[in-house]
Amino acid sequence: MATEVVLPMLGITVEKGKILKWIKSEGERVEKGESIFEVEADKVTTEVESPASGILKKILVPENLEVPVLTVVGVITAEGEEIQEKYVAGKPEIVEPFKGAAPEVLVSAASAEVSETMASEPSGSVRAVPAARKVAREYGIDLSLISGSGPGGTILKKDVENYMALERAEITAPKGKERRATPLARRLAEKEGIPLENVSGTGHHGRVTKMDVLKASEKGKTALPGEAPAETLFGKTIPMSRMRRVIARRISQSAFTAPHIYFFTDVEMGRLIQLRDEIVSEYEDQFGVRISINDFIIKAVGLTIREYPMLNASLDGENIRINPEINVGLAVALEEGLIVPAIPRADRYGLGDIARMRVDLVERSRNGKLTIEEIERGTFTISSLAQFGITYFTAILNPPQSGILTVGKLDEKLSLINGEVRTKQVTRFGLSVDHRIVDGAVAAAFLQAFKGKLESPSSAFIQLT
Amino acid sequence: MREITYAQAINEALRENMRRNSRIILMGEDIGRYGGIFQVTAGLLDEFGPERVIDTPISEAGFVGTCVGAAMTGLHPVAEVMFIDFTTCAMDMIVNQMAKMHYMSGGRGKVPFVLRTNIGAGRGAAAQHSQSFHSFFMHISGLKVATPATPYDAKGLMNTALADENPVMFIEHKKLFITKGHVPEESYSIPFGKADIKREGNDITIVATHALVQKSLNVAEEMSQEGINIEILDPRTISPLDKEAILNSVKKTGKLITADEGCVTGGFGSEIAATVAQEAFDYLEAPIIRVGSPDTPVPFSPPLEQFYIPGEDNIREAVNKILEYQ
Amino acid sequence: MVLSKQKKVEMYRRMLKIRSFEERIVDLYARGLVPGLAHLYIGEEAVAVGACANLRDDDYITSTHRGHGHVIAKGADVKFMMAELFGKTTGYCKGKGGSMHIADVDIGILGANGIAGGGLPIAVGAGLSSKYRKTDQVTICFFGDGASNNGTFHESLNLAAVHKLPVIFTCENNQYAISTEQTTHQTIKDISIRSIAYDIPGVTVEGNDLMAVYNALNEAVQRARNGRGPTLVECKTYRWRGHHEGDPNLGERYRRREDIKPWIEKCPIKRFEKVLLKERVLDQAKIDEIKNAVQKEIDEAVEFANASPFPKNEDIYEDVFEEEMGGSR
Repeated sequence: MATEVVLPMLGITVEKGKILKWIKSEGERVEKGESIFEVEADKVTTEVESPASGILKKILVPENLEVPVLTVVGVITAEGEEIQEKYVAGKPEIVEPFKGAAPEVLVSAASAEVSETMASEPSGSVRAVPAARKVAREYGIDLSLISGSGPGGTILKKDVENYMALERAEITAPKGKERRATPLARRLAEKEGIPLENVSGTGHHGRVTKMDVLKASEKGKTALPGEAPAETLFGKTIPMSRMRRVIARRISQSAFTAPHIYFFTDVEMGRLIQLRDEIVSEYEDQFGVRISINDFIIKAVGLTIREYPMLNASLDGENIRINPEINVGLAVALEEGLIVPAIPRADRYGLGDIARMRVDLVERSRNGKLTIEEIERGTFTISSLAQFGITYFTAILNPPQSGILTVGKLDEKLSLINGEVRTKQVTRFGLSVDHRIVDGAVAAAFLQAFKGKLESPSSAFIQLT
Repeated sequence: MREITYAQAINEALRENMRRNSRIILMGEDIGRYGGIFQVTAGLLDEFGPERVIDTPISEAGFVGTCVGAAMTGLHPVAEVMFIDFTTCAMDMIVNQMAKMHYMSGGRGKVPFVLRTNIGAGRGAAAQHSQSFHSFFMHISGLKVATPATPYDAKGLMNTALADENPVMFIEHKKLFITKGHVPEESYSIPFGKADIKREGNDITIVATHALVQKSLNVAEEMSQEGINIEILDPRTISPLDKEAILNSVKKTGKLITADEGCVTGGFGSEIAATVAQEAFDYLEAPIIRVGSPDTPVPFSPPLEQFYIPGEDNIREAVNKILEYQ
Repeated sequence: MVLSKQKKVEMYRRMLKIRSFEERIVDLYARGLVPGLAHLYIGEEAVAVGACANLRDDDYITSTHRGHGHVIAKGADVKFMMAELFGKTTGYCKGKGGSMHIADVDIGILGANGIAGGGLPIAVGAGLSSKYRKTDQVTICFFGDGASNNGTFHESLNLAAVHKLPVIFTCENNQYAISTEQTTHQTIKDISIRSIAYDIPGVTVEGNDLMAVYNALNEAVQRARNGRGPTLVECKTYRWRGHHEGDPNLGERYRRREDIKPWIEKCPIKRFEKVLLKERVLDQAKIDEIKNAVQKEIDEAVEFANASPFPKNEDIYEDVFEEEMGGSR
């Protein structure tokens, strides 16, 4: 019977290991308890003993590849025994350890008693004790109408109750019944077409005053439908959306763990723009998409990375992992935040394909229809603020990537060429790199090579389209 | 009505239980011939002999662990650790053995064992003989923690502790040993996890333990002259804790003060405050105030020590602060 | 000491059972089926078996973090042990204790213990309890050379000596306190000499010699049963595996693999096997038969553990306290 050899549990803190050396080779005889391979985990090298006697029929995980513990790394069979089909494919299988344990459930059990009322609405600058807030919430009373009698004007429960006693008629009044207002306010509200029940009153006993109506009418003018008027955001605390939280965490992680260095270069864009204008209609016929300058930039980045693999790397513990594919991500700004879908193998695809993929990815970004893989596969990022008229800017790396390219607006610059004043079309590009992985000279050389491609576009792109 | 001291009440409970239940033995430093440093076990050696009232070497880990082993094999030991400060020498035995044995063994081993010790400053004994870290044991699951405040409660709670098949930390207060109170001669039990409302009131709830129960009662009495009705609630066991009684009282009064002799930070009052903030938030009409010891070691010099010990002034101050929200 | 043939075979079988159990754990741990920490007893089997062979079912033992051998020697069922190591509800402790906390008070196992030196005072308590209840039960307290430097060792020997308690302090000197070798952690060679400080007998024996352990413990157990107090017995032995599974290269950070070899040659099981063959208590066929039977028992234990369910989340709240109330009996 075949025995699976796994990368063993190597103590409770170890999650991954790398086989440094197979002591036994495929087809060799091995005895139970004999050392079969050497594994490195947590900087310690351990010889692993064979779990069975027989022939090491198949090695599934080669040397120097890091895999999680419990991965099946080889198969031992009896002499002459064939191995099952699933091992022939050679795909490492990872065993789930200790199924059935569900720690996250425990977390929820421990916090299950949290009262749902704890998430009380933000209340501006009104100070009120919890019991007062509760009554106000239940009766729909605006606490800002009540003056508090507690320390520092804190609204006490009895303040709310007193207020209610005075205002009972209005509070319990069915909807549609007129709200108390001064005559002036009432006339103004009619003129402006503002329903009085929507106006909170600040006058005596909550009476709506002229000022209240004026304020309400201003709000109405600036507010967009379905959106909180901008002025109401001031002084408020807004819970982060899930996406915002993820962005915040990743960006701080990147900013505080990866030492950034920044480089800038001006690229003369004239010839590239000319080339693009020449081929755009031809490409549109062929690919059904309008090729843009951005597509050239993506392609040029892909090609340049091929020459400078460190710009396609990420840090993994003590190792630098150079990613096998060059997938160039594009930062797309959405209302909730930034998302970075990536164009796969940008060095290999032609401009037409790149353009098509870009249009599709950007569109699906806006519809929220991207797949996780499309978001996570990026190995390098391009961020452009050209459409905002930004001259140049620095960017924080998209972790765990080692480089991000920034694109500024297209500028006309005067320059003296052969004694003549001419205008040049110039864009300033910036490059941020993780200095742990990429040295300054490498980053500079990358940027120089990139610049060269954009400035001599026909030689750079022609054979590759 | 008969009045006896807190120490005598515990002594009486031990004596009565030892007469009824031969599984009970006592172990501790100087508990036999000397009668215990606070005379809680006085006379028990004479009645029950050295086999049941065992003077131990100064070996807290040794004799507390011995009690764990004896409890697992059929006895119901009662250990006296002279001061709560010395439980630190036996912390492995208390936290990892005594408290965990039943759970770790999936219920196969039980530890019916009462560990008596005491808290409290006020005897000029300085930082290693005066601490009040009883709330530490409230944090350890697997332990029950009794905190008697009166002679009556001391006897009733000890009777319950010795009827319980679980480890019990029985935490006395050294300044209370000589206080007198009404204690029935007959046997009675006070259930664990059942708070006692020592005084009823509608305006403010004070959750108090040990010596601060009486101090709170004094302040409440004084305040009642001004028409302020304070409710005093003594949980009597801080684990299990009668959360329901505390929450009900706060729901009635909307205001909470905790009064406990431990240091304020990370202490009993903090736990009560958190519970109330979490489960009775909407009823709160004022901030919660914790009365307790300052976050310093217990100082020696008498004026400093007096300043250290939370007293009626501190409670009064807290009440006045809360009254701003009245 | 003349032992019956049957008794010798049973002792041999117990050692084999410990060895097979532990060898299976090596594999199961590597495959992630046994979570947490597993401290294996391979190489030290003669100590547990030689000691426990002197005990009755109602006698007690306290054990250590390296406790599988002790509890098997005391008569624990490997099926329930295996289930416990898997974290299953059918385990000795319903999956709440794991490798380091196997306990079965019904057969006198007062628990393995995750704290070095944690078991010593508990053993004293069991001794005190037996003496107080006027039974002639004894308690064997297993601990290692590492624990002999803990305060509880001294407190416990002193307490047991003062009260003449029936406790046999059985030190398994496997020469390492985790990674710190004995010469680094104490100045004495023979831990048994510490008995002098408490005025109790102390003896050192070759811990890989089953009969030597048996005989030393036999005398100590007799002494304890007859009310003559505790004994300190030191058994010199060696652990073949690392401190726990996952300790790299069987502990190569702190010892050389060549150091292990001579001890493998001194295997306590092979050594006793030779005696049995020589005395014609067993022949090779019989030995093979016993080995196969033990293997089968371990196989069945693994099957049982595998087939058993994990605890449910709500089980976490059970067994914190004993529900039943006691009081006077």
